[in-house]
Amino acid sequence: MLIKWLFKPLTLLLMLGSSQAYALHEGQAAPQCPSALTDKGQQFDLTAYQGKVVLIDFWATWCGPCQKSMPFLNGLRNERHKDGFEIVAINVDENTEEAREFLKAHPVDYPVAFNPKGECPGIFNVEAMPSSFFIDKTGKIRKIHLGYRDGDQTEIREQISALLAE
Amino acid sequence: MRVCRILPKLLLLLIGVVGSQGCSSVAAWERGNLAKKEMALDPNPNLSHIRDHIFTSREASQGGRANSGGGCGCN
Repeated sequence: MLIKWLFKPLTLLLMLGSSQAYALHEGQAAPQCPSALTDKGQQFDLTAYQGKVVLIDFWATWCGPCQKSMPFLNGLRNERHKDGFEIVAINVDENTEEAREFLKAHPVDYPVAFNPKGECPGIFNVEAMPSSFFIDKTGKIRKIHLGYRDGDQTEIREQISALLAE
Repeated sequence: MRVCRILPKLLLLLIGVVGSQGCSSVAAWERGNLAKKEMALDPNPNLSHIRDHIFTSREASQGGRANSGGGCGCN
């Protein structure tokens, strides 16, 4: 009787313990991320980039592949910026100062937003570091690229070109 | 008597529930501390490899890990 009586609340408790976030899919509209703050302390607003192809890059200083990807991404951004391409890097270091120090030593030309509490990667359900979300001109997620290797450069470049050509 | 019969089951269920709450995954963006060098299982992989090489090169010693070959262990 006691077991029967306890079964429902305990099952509910178990379910709560194993709650899972739902992943974003390609083709879905990119969510807003107001908790990420730009260098000037403003809320990151994706709608400001409407009509542009945007690559949202989640990175951290402790992530080796993230650091490796940055010179390539910076080059690609400068190469295609005039065509309507922009990169927004969202840093997820718990200590934002570490990221600022890193950026001083390795500056990039694209805007960087900071989200030390991690709400933004939670909204995007980032599965790996780095994660790149390719957003098309209409604000839809068209591709999610997980991780970074030098061999990925051609694929990223082609994907951006295809989105810019639309 | 009835309580004695139910109690172990109840205890097992409670342990299961409490235990399952402790199993939480660390999100990809929260691994800053885990990525620190001192958090690695082997904080000095190169040093360990050299020591392992020297150790397994000695006569008849096999080491506690995978078979890592022989050689003189002199370099």
